[in-house]
Amino acid sequence: MNVFEEVKKALCKANPGLDESKVVSSALLKDDLDIDSLDLVEVAMTLEDVFTLTLPEDEMENIATVGDIISVIEARLKVKSG
Amino acid sequence: MANRVVVTGYGAVTPLGLNVEDTWRNLIAGVSGVGYISLFDATDFKVKIAAEVRGFDPADYLDPTTARRNDRFAQFALVAGIQAIDAAGLKVDDANRYDIGVLIGSGVGGLNALAEQLDILKTRGPNRVSPFLVPMMIADSASSQVSIKMGIRGANFGLISACATGTDALGVAYKMIKWGEIKAMVAGGADGAVTPVGFAGFTQAGALSRNNEPQKASRPFDMERDGFVVGEGAAVLVLENLDYARSRGASIIAEVIGYGATSDAFHITQPMESGEAAARAIELALAGVERDEVDYINAHGTSTPLNDASETKAIKKAFGDRAYKIPISSAKSMLGHMMGAAGAIEAIVCCKVINEGIIPPTVNLEHPDPECDLDYVPNVARDGDVRIAISNSFGFGGHNSVIAIGRYDGQ
Repeated sequence: MNVFEEVKKALCKANPGLDESKVVSSALLKDDLDIDSLDLVEVAMTLEDVFTLTLPEDEMENIATVGDIISVIEARLKVKSG
Repeated sequence: MANRVVVTGYGAVTPLGLNVEDTWRNLIAGVSGVGYISLFDATDFKVKIAAEVRGFDPADYLDPTTARRNDRFAQFALVAGIQAIDAAGLKVDDANRYDIGVLIGSGVGGLNALAEQLDILKTRGPNRVSPFLVPMMIADSASSQVSIKMGIRGANFGLISACATGTDALGVAYKMIKWGEIKAMVAGGADGAVTPVGFAGFTQAGALSRNNEPQKASRPFDMERDGFVVGEGAAVLVLENLDYARSRGASIIAEVIGYGATSDAFHITQPMESGEAAARAIELALAGVERDEVDYINAHGTSTPLNDASETKAIKKAFGDRAYKIPISSAKSMLGHMMGAAGAIEAIVCCKVINEGIIPPTVNLEHPDPECDLDYVPNVARDGDVRIAISNSFGFGGHNSVIAIGRYDGQ
């Protein structure tokens, strides 16, 4: 599964008005994508279901960009497969 | 010193239209907004009818994110609130944003979101409950969303008194302006609770009409009435200090001239049979004016056996022999019971009656009840020259709330 594509889908689901082309790795969730802390909880739930994993709350708290979400997921996927 | 308070704009989303003008046109034509339930599968329900808002697509008014983050009642409130502010020509800017407040009450709040997330809690566990449950469920979200959308920074809160909510919201807003706490209030009510659990609750409480002929079920003051019909929607008015309205050149629709509220202190669902406390609320609303100038009463008129009889007694207590000469009508005969929005739409109806000189009818009044022997304007609208109109609203819990609206004299 392409992590970036799934993150993009989850972000667009949380913010249906989102312009997909704005979803790039460096995009700031709040300032560029209008994804607030409540949206992020929803995004995390979606991604947990998609990847069948648990995203630790303390790691999600420090997330600022799309790339940060991808990093957290990739790290958890490694733990899972390792 | 007391300020005069005027209505400068209104908006509504109702079972008879997605704005005030369509709603009014249908009301004076005697059209019923009641039909079979479409919002959920009512096959197993004893009651299969409601007055739903039809043809409402939030995407027509709200961006997709705002629409998704608001329960149905708050979507209605946003649309009606924006309509009202637009109609009032009230431009919110840095010069006035702290002088304007919002008070849009709701009887039950976001019951749809609550019911949906309770299912998720049971089937998928606590970690899948939406972070938007609380912001969508809280009844004050109707006011807050309008405040956020319009940049209004004065007082912002909700208020709850069951089916009297809309009238109490207007009454409290009126008092805040009257006593100089704020210059303008965006006030009214909203509910959108045609949802299985809410519906089941009302049915089990014995409050709803079992008449399964939709257009005939809401029949206030009729001998064969057997309960109310659940409605939904929102109605919002802009109330303003007269001086402020004049200073910004607003056109003035009508004047709010009084508000009264009392409690039955009797029973959580039944009204006090004698109508004594309700009569007192009418008297309080008319404390500062000549009672003889009341030319129209918009009844609470729910179509329950108890309400319509006790309301009739209350009107007789408050007006004496003159009660027989005042035209009375129940908008609920056509709109169903819009719950927390009822009092607000009915206040708008009072404004329209005063300005248009037409009194909407009480439809389905075919078999007069000897206990309800006043002039309820049966079935057909009529012309009427109305100086002062009052709107009665009563609610589960024993609330009796009355607002008085007068013709604006231009001075």
